[in-house]
Amino acid sequence: MSTHYDVIVIGSGLGGLAAATTLQRGGRQTLLLERHSVPGGAATSFVRGRFEFEVSLHQLGGMGGHGPLRAVLDELDVTRRLEWLEDRDLCRTFVPGEVDVRLPHDWSGLADVLDGLSPGNRPQIVRFLEIVRETGLWQLTARVNLHRIPEQLEWLKTLPDVRRYALRTFREVLDEFFTDERLKLVLSSYWSYNGQLPHRIAFMDMARLLTLYVETRPYQVVGGGQALSSALVESFEEAGGELRLNTEVVQILTDGGSAAGVRLENGDTVGAKLVVSNAPSTTTYTRLLDDPGVVPAHVLQGLRARRPGASATCLFLGVDASPKELGFTAATTFLSANLDEQSVLRGANSLTEPCPFLIVTCYDVQPTGFAPKGCTQVVLSAIQYAEPWESLAPEEYAAAKASYAESQLDLAETLVPGLRDAIEEAELATPLTFKRYTNQPGGAIYGFDQDITDSWLFHDEDLRQNVPGLLLTSNWTTAGGYNSNLVTASRRCQGLLARGQ
Amino acid sequence: MTNPPYTPSVNPLARLLEGADGVVERLKAHAANQAAHRADARAEVEPYHPRKLELTVTELIDETSTTKTLRLRRTAGGSLPPFRAGQYLSLDVQVGDVRTNRAFSISSSPTRRDHYDLTVRRLPGGLVSNYLLDEVSIGDRFTSGGPMGTFTHDPLFHGDDLLFLAGGSGVAPAMSMIREIVELGLPRRMTLLYGSRRSDDIIFQDELEAIERQHPNIVVHHILAQADPGWTGAVKPLNAPLIVKLAGPLTGRMTYVCGPAYKYPYLVGELESLGLPGRRIRMEANYVAKSPPDTPDWPSGVDPTGAVTVSVRGGKSFQMPRGRELIYALEENGMPPAASCRSGECGDCRVKVCSGEVVHAEEARLRTSDRRFGYAHSCVAYPLTDIEVDFQPGNYF
Repeated sequence: MSTHYDVIVIGSGLGGLAAATTLQRGGRQTLLLERHSVPGGAATSFVRGRFEFEVSLHQLGGMGGHGPLRAVLDELDVTRRLEWLEDRDLCRTFVPGEVDVRLPHDWSGLADVLDGLSPGNRPQIVRFLEIVRETGLWQLTARVNLHRIPEQLEWLKTLPDVRRYALRTFREVLDEFFTDERLKLVLSSYWSYNGQLPHRIAFMDMARLLTLYVETRPYQVVGGGQALSSALVESFEEAGGELRLNTEVVQILTDGGSAAGVRLENGDTVGAKLVVSNAPSTTTYTRLLDDPGVVPAHVLQGLRARRPGASATCLFLGVDASPKELGFTAATTFLSANLDEQSVLRGANSLTEPCPFLIVTCYDVQPTGFAPKGCTQVVLSAIQYAEPWESLAPEEYAAAKASYAESQLDLAETLVPGLRDAIEEAELATPLTFKRYTNQPGGAIYGFDQDITDSWLFHDEDLRQNVPGLLLTSNWTTAGGYNSNLVTASRRCQGLLARGQ
Repeated sequence: MTNPPYTPSVNPLARLLEGADGVVERLKAHAANQAAHRADARAEVEPYHPRKLELTVTELIDETSTTKTLRLRRTAGGSLPPFRAGQYLSLDVQVGDVRTNRAFSISSSPTRRDHYDLTVRRLPGGLVSNYLLDEVSIGDRFTSGGPMGTFTHDPLFHGDDLLFLAGGSGVAPAMSMIREIVELGLPRRMTLLYGSRRSDDIIFQDELEAIERQHPNIVVHHILAQADPGWTGAVKPLNAPLIVKLAGPLTGRMTYVCGPAYKYPYLVGELESLGLPGRRIRMEANYVAKSPPDTPDWPSGVDPTGAVTVSVRGGKSFQMPRGRELIYALEENGMPPAASCRSGECGDCRVKVCSGEVVHAEEARLRTSDRRFGYAHSCVAYPLTDIEVDFQPGNYF
């Protein structure tokens, strides 16, 4: 090995950045390697004409009050480097002709809106939200206190509702409480942030999402996900860390069964006491390691028990009109074509039907600095798996993109009439685009498919070092998204530092 | 050797939850039934977006006295990645000791997957165009990235009534678009207003004439800078009255502009004076419209010819004039950054400015955070002071 570091981190996505910054600031000489010319992984942006476009950040959870992300970013000396904006609401949920509500970020206000939507259900609504909150807070707390299992067991024994509902699907619990499909749809508003529809997402995961956003309020950051990535890099470099861009790791080298360094694309080798891989678990264990035999058999079996998760098809629009002219009042709108969950499921797996669901994000209700004055950045995101896109021949791809973008725009115009006429820039990212830029199997945006079987409760190996000297931090080892990824990676590295490793 | 059946590593907390056993059984079934995951994301996208293409020059077509078309095929044979009409290729080139790259719009039709045509016009004094026109012969090999760029027709909002203002070799993307329209019989109209220096320097003249005769949806007007005796067509300047006279009303039409960037501000002004909103004008990035000291952000009183020192972290230091794009000096000193568009747009040549100050040309498409955290697009960045930069060299060749 030509040079030696305490730590090498592979990949400067959020998990890699959080790990590298935590370890460097904890006194470990850290080399962070990134194959792209820009750090951040999915937490990045791109520019077209007069517009900059946010790639991945919709609403940042965990930043308000004593939120877990705020705590980590404070510790990493990152918060002060950025300008934060608190969303005015949770979201707007819209189904043409059926539903149009704005959800506030407090529990009682939420109950009021739901009661207004479906009068006569107030007691069930209040009770349901209490269970959501209790389950959400339980999961958020339990997840970061796994080193205190006896205490956690005692606490959970006192939570009969959590024990009863946590592992049921969100849909089952909704059906137990309500009959009004509009109410169920509104309560399911945030399903897409986990990539799983209510009939597949665990009640506890949906409860975690909703609770995180109500309790800590959704945030935006000026400069978007890339600004957050760049601020982490700045803190990392200020502490003496070394970032190398345009540098691809092709192999993790082992020595006597332990990770000992990496080989770069140009053939150079670099040694380290600890290798942190922010590449997906499958890629790390089955492609990057020079000797896959060092991975315990049950870990590889465990990978097979899980499925690559959903990707997304995002239409990025630079619009030559203000949010006011377009009628945007909420940063985030969850837009469904109808109340039929099955059509959304089919839409996630095929290109033959019109787009049934979109996350419509307007980044200029409170400007995040990406659109010129008087203009608006709008991103229309559909949750889709890669398979229908992968099955196209390369020469069919451009036409399929044009056709699906058209369908997304048609649906968006039910919310924003006249949107098409004011478009100045448009770019479509498909699951293949995400696969290309992030190297994630299936272009997955949240790691493994996060149905009930993917819960951390059944994958303790995700949080262990299964190969000595190798730590995995990607969203294939934790729940996807900014808050989970950053917080989990940083806390695990703090754990290593605390144990003197 | 067979492994024992899979048993999930269940957290003790799960045992207190209703339904945990069912989840464990489902996981066991998955582990038994599911095949290993594909994890070769990179290899799977190669057919669409190759990292590097190996290309061979198979034909050199003389277009005019100043222009040739290089026909490139895959060195290993077979189909090339698809592209959209209007996109460009970034060709890696070594001229003498200088390793550099240049972006050329593809002039061939996207329906042809066996070759890319790059149409190159001589730029007086130009390092690469002179090399490509004078030194390259059939059988020579090049590498390039895959097709790139967003100067393409987007059916989502561009419409079917199109205007194209081209100058010189800026006709290349128009040619690709027109070839696609006529070959596929697309229901699009395109009017091409094409400026050339002289009548003997009109690229694709015969083919455009033939297409115009057979396809009423394609209309071509030539505008010459120097009209010969007997020229009955239009002459410059291509101003608002001439645009209307040749192309008719602009309402609702998407207009593409491709030529030397210094002409863009004038042409955009003329188009806007005809009521065309900025969002209906799309310009291909083609170097910069205004060089120092005319760059809008250039501080007054600073001499663009004055020398500053550039230090590359982990590399060497050299002197260069302030008013030159950083990338050229880096290349001449043997430290080429990765690069593609060389016009401020793609960001491949991004470098960190560790100390000192740079100013960017107006064309720089920098991220907000890159300005805030001190990064530069070296192809359109000028060092105002002594600077230190950090980047990993490009992996050409």
